[in-house]
Amino acid sequence: MATKIINKTVTEFSLRITRCFFVPSKAIQTNAALFQERSETSITNVAEQLLPTIRPPLPIIYSRKLAFPPKFKAVRQAWVSNMDTVEEEKLGLIDLHPEVFAERPRVDIIHENVRWQQLYRHVSYANTKVKYEVRGGGRKPRPQKGSGRSRHGSIRSPIWRGGGIVHGPRSPTPYFYMLSFNARLNGLRSTLSAKLAQDDLHIVDSLDIPTDDPSYLEKLVEERGWGPAVLFVDDNDIMPLNITAASDVHGHYNLMPVYGLNVHSMLKHHTLVLTLAAVERIEERLLFHLNRNDAAEAGRKYKLDSL
Amino acid sequence: MASAAARSFVFRQHINTCRLDFASCLNIKSFYSSYSANPKEKSPEHYTQYHEVSSDNWKFVERLKPPTVVPSFPKNGSYFSDWTPPPDTPPNLPYFVKRTKNFMVPVYLNFEAIRNQRKITMVKHIEGDIWAMEKDIKSHLEEVTKRPVVSQVHEVGMYIKFRGDYALHVKKWLLNAGF
Repeated sequence: MATKIINKTVTEFSLRITRCFFVPSKAIQTNAALFQERSETSITNVAEQLLPTIRPPLPIIYSRKLAFPPKFKAVRQAWVSNMDTVEEEKLGLIDLHPEVFAERPRVDIIHENVRWQQLYRHVSYANTKVKYEVRGGGRKPRPQKGSGRSRHGSIRSPIWRGGGIVHGPRSPTPYFYMLSFNARLNGLRSTLSAKLAQDDLHIVDSLDIPTDDPSYLEKLVEERGWGPAVLFVDDNDIMPLNITAASDVHGHYNLMPVYGLNVHSMLKHHTLVLTLAAVERIEERLLFHLNRNDAAEAGRKYKLDSL
Repeated sequence: MASAAARSFVFRQHINTCRLDFASCLNIKSFYSSYSANPKEKSPEHYTQYHEVSSDNWKFVERLKPPTVVPSFPKNGSYFSDWTPPPDTPPNLPYFVKRTKNFMVPVYLNFEAIRNQRKITMVKHIEGDIWAMEKDIKSHLEEVTKRPVVSQVHEVGMYIKFRGDYALHVKKWLLNAGF
């Protein structure tokens, strides 16, 4: 299950962790001694006037048990970062299940999902009048025979100018349909895999930030190069107060519980940030549906008679 | 007090106005809303006896329930049908065919017909070099059946289709290959 960071305060001396900058070309040193204390005295050195983050020696999170361990597929690994500081600190490395995060991205299924999400709630209110709805046209314009002109029954028939429209739009027209369960399931798998492969997926320990200042979140995202729009996903639907307040101002930083995870949102936001709890929940749910004994039950919930 | 009586009256009225088709034939137990209208509890010998059993007996209920997740196959080695378990090491080939979640070989015989019943053999869950696999299976099928075999390689969906009923041949080939 998700491990929580316990910030220990040591009475005798204060631990000050040196900033660990992401260096892709060099080997990351995970020696705990590298992150030991330096006796820094003043707290006011910190740019944002925040209290120094006190942490036990790193790495804190370094193992994760995978359900349905993959037999021949390589397990993917990802860093776990923090949200306490603007600069990124890597708290550890965890395993990700390849069936969820390293599936061959099916672009056609992703497209199907996006189309479905946009279309299933769409209602077209366009309307045209049929011949009996157009004002007038009840009387026969001229007698059937004798005038030498063509015969007509009403001035609002579709062949007349100003007449009714035969096969025009009729309001309201719903475009509701349900995509099959497996298409939606594989859509999530494909999108998560694509996000991880394109370095747009980041994992954090939790969404607790030290301040509710919106600029903190801005600086954090800017510093880490997380892209203009970020989607934060956590297992719980009640998020910590600070991040809720900070992201409320920005329309492009959005918080989402795991049950709201969808392909369209993941594609719309450039970066996807998952908490450890969210990763656990996503994997557990997706792997359950991939290995469940009663596959027919999965789709039964939204099965409609007319579709 | 008066309000309670009024409420019980309203409640009883509601029950009486609910019409049920079988009410005329059966005696449906009425649910009284006030204490005084209820029949009083009798001494225990008027009711059926019961005794508590140990909660260890729950396992008899649990074993009747089907497993939520596909359980693993028994590894004793003797299987009465043609089924062989998936191997522990993958074969040394540029492609791989994953078993289904029920540990079966993913070969299916479809009837894709617009007018006539056209039999199509489909191999799914392919990973790796799909063209090499198609070449190998096709050459094997042509060897076995002594006639040309038409195939389709779908690179996006990662499946191969053969026109004709070659399901058994393909299954045997896959099992022999070590998938």
